[in-house]
Amino acid sequence: MKERLISALASIPIVAAMTMSGACAATCPYGMVNDPYPGQCSRYIDINVDGICDFSQATATASDQGASTTYSDPQSSENSGSAGFDVHLEDGNNVSSLHDDGFAFDNGQVHSDGTGYFILPVSILLISAYLFTHYLFSKGIINRQRHRRFWNLFVTAGYLGTGVTGVLLIFIINLGVRTVLNPNITFLHAELAILMVVGTMIHIHLYWKPFKKIFKVLFNLKSYSNKKKHEKVPRLSE
Amino acid sequence: MVYDMLIPSIPVIVGYLSTFILFRRGLIRKSLHVNIWNFVIGVAFLISGGAGFLLMVLMEIGVKLPISPQLLYWHIELGITLALVTVFHFHTYWKTSRTMFGLKRRPRI
Repeated sequence: MKERLISALASIPIVAAMTMSGACAATCPYGMVNDPYPGQCSRYIDINVDGICDFSQATATASDQGASTTYSDPQSSENSGSAGFDVHLEDGNNVSSLHDDGFAFDNGQVHSDGTGYFILPVSILLISAYLFTHYLFSKGIINRQRHRRFWNLFVTAGYLGTGVTGVLLIFIINLGVRTVLNPNITFLHAELAILMVVGTMIHIHLYWKPFKKIFKVLFNLKSYSNKKKHEKVPRLSE
Repeated sequence: MVYDMLIPSIPVIVGYLSTFILFRRGLIRKSLHVNIWNFVIGVAFLISGGAGFLLMVLMEIGVKLPISPQLLYWHIELGITLALVTVFHFHTYWKTSRTMFGLKRRPRI
């Protein structure tokens, strides 16, 4: 029953992605307007080669079939407004050579508009797994150390994966690198981030006492029961 | 838009080294050093992870807020800090981490 429910929940984003219209996919998912090269995210796409991300443009033209196309150097147009140099390309084949073959994967058909990240299914799956291992631990089937170790490994995997893919994405954005793998890295980053966020919540639950101690040590905050204890018991040093 | 990598990382590296040296020289307690960095990792996670999660949820439901570009910017900048502080977190809890990864040597009988 639970598996059916999870598989049904997992199919929702896929159905949403499949039914998503092209017009919906061709807008900036972050709501940015006229985002210049190299763009603020790895989805940067510039079919009309004007140095501005097409997703962030209200009227992005998606045609590169023309015989003559104007190319403005994105770097120079970023530095000096729109005063970039123009290169006129006469051959349509040359125009297509400006883009890598990975364009087809990066045109926002599956991931670029945000759908298909499986937030709910992954979160529900992780929380269910935690509740299950917590139940096993509370019944004495697995010991505390094993229970903690298991979830510490999960949260480490989440942080490591999110961190590595995140740093990779920063380099991709800063250097303006466009590869076929860009949307896949973004997708992986988002999926591992779900593991990281849910894993951190679990980590805080597992280490609740040290977590409370942070506020005690740094801000001298004590719980009401502790305050009462300190009021009743005289200090040994006095 | 180019993201700064040095601005969010250098203060964190210098800060961690400072509190670590102070703790090693006995000027501050270990609990203070550990809890300062546990607090920093918590704040970095809250801002970076929170902003990222919020952006993802907004994208899922197709909502574009005017602050979304700023959220993305701070998500990335604090993400750099979070990645670094996570490394320091492993350094702080190295003994536990070694056991977790199975790197701790067992004493010979």
